[in-house]
Amino acid sequence: MSPTRPVSNGANGQANSVVLGPKDRLVGQLFIEGDLHVSGTVDGSLEATGDIEITGSGKVNGAVTAYNRLVVGSDASLIGGDVRVARLTVEDGATFSGKVSMGKPEPKAVDEPEQVVQPKAKRR
Amino acid sequence: MDVQEAVAEGTASVDNGEVKRDGRKQFSMGPGDILEGKLIYDGSIHADGKVEGEVRVSGNIDVASGASVRALLEGANVTLKGQVEGAVTARDKLTLGKNAKLSGDIVVRRLQIDDGATLNGHVRMGDFESHTSGQ
Repeated sequence: MSPTRPVSNGANGQANSVVLGPKDRLVGQLFIEGDLHVSGTVDGSLEATGDIEITGSGKVNGAVTAYNRLVVGSDASLIGGDVRVARLTVEDGATFSGKVSMGKPEPKAVDEPEQVVQPKAKRR
Repeated sequence: MDVQEAVAEGTASVDNGEVKRDGRKQFSMGPGDILEGKLIYDGSIHADGKVEGEVRVSGNIDVASGASVRALLEGANVTLKGQVEGAVTARDKLTLGKNAKLSGDIVVRRLQIDDGATLNGHVRMGDFESHTSGQ
């Protein structure tokens, strides 16, 4: 539908998609190169270079960063965290609270600017 | 936020903008209308054109797609299709249409955001403490 850039994981160049099912639970931080589908419970922060979908009875308590799109389904819940996304869909019935920042996708700078090597102090 | 207690001024007046619909009052603005100040209204408002200040209504707020709003908005059902800057309170449901752009903190009971809408601000969901029970 939209010109999303192809999402690949480094290993095989295939589009990567991770699913947390209804009985799955994650506590901590997760970074995915690709898409993430959550219908389980997450306590912690999620970051994906593609889409994140919280569907079914999925519950996320924590920060969510999606470089592309975030969908919160009608029975799903996203509470409390910072939400940074390029596109956002919240379906009627969803539980949703937090701080939302939208705009141009702004992936965290992967390459830290290299430290400029200071010329050695001149000696007197 | 230093909006004075000004009466609605500008081209939209209650007299020429009021339409009855379903027995409820509707304050209807056109694309060329301007509302500046504070409006407290027992009914619904269809906002178009330019709105600045504060709008609190007992019914619904509906912001048209070409509208430009810099105001605090409070209503039962709030539907945004245009640009809004300011805090929004929806005692029932807030809907952001696909072309809506909202910068401001929102307090809602229910929330629907359509794909394409832009939101920047805090979202709080919950019940409302002390409002006239319009359930």
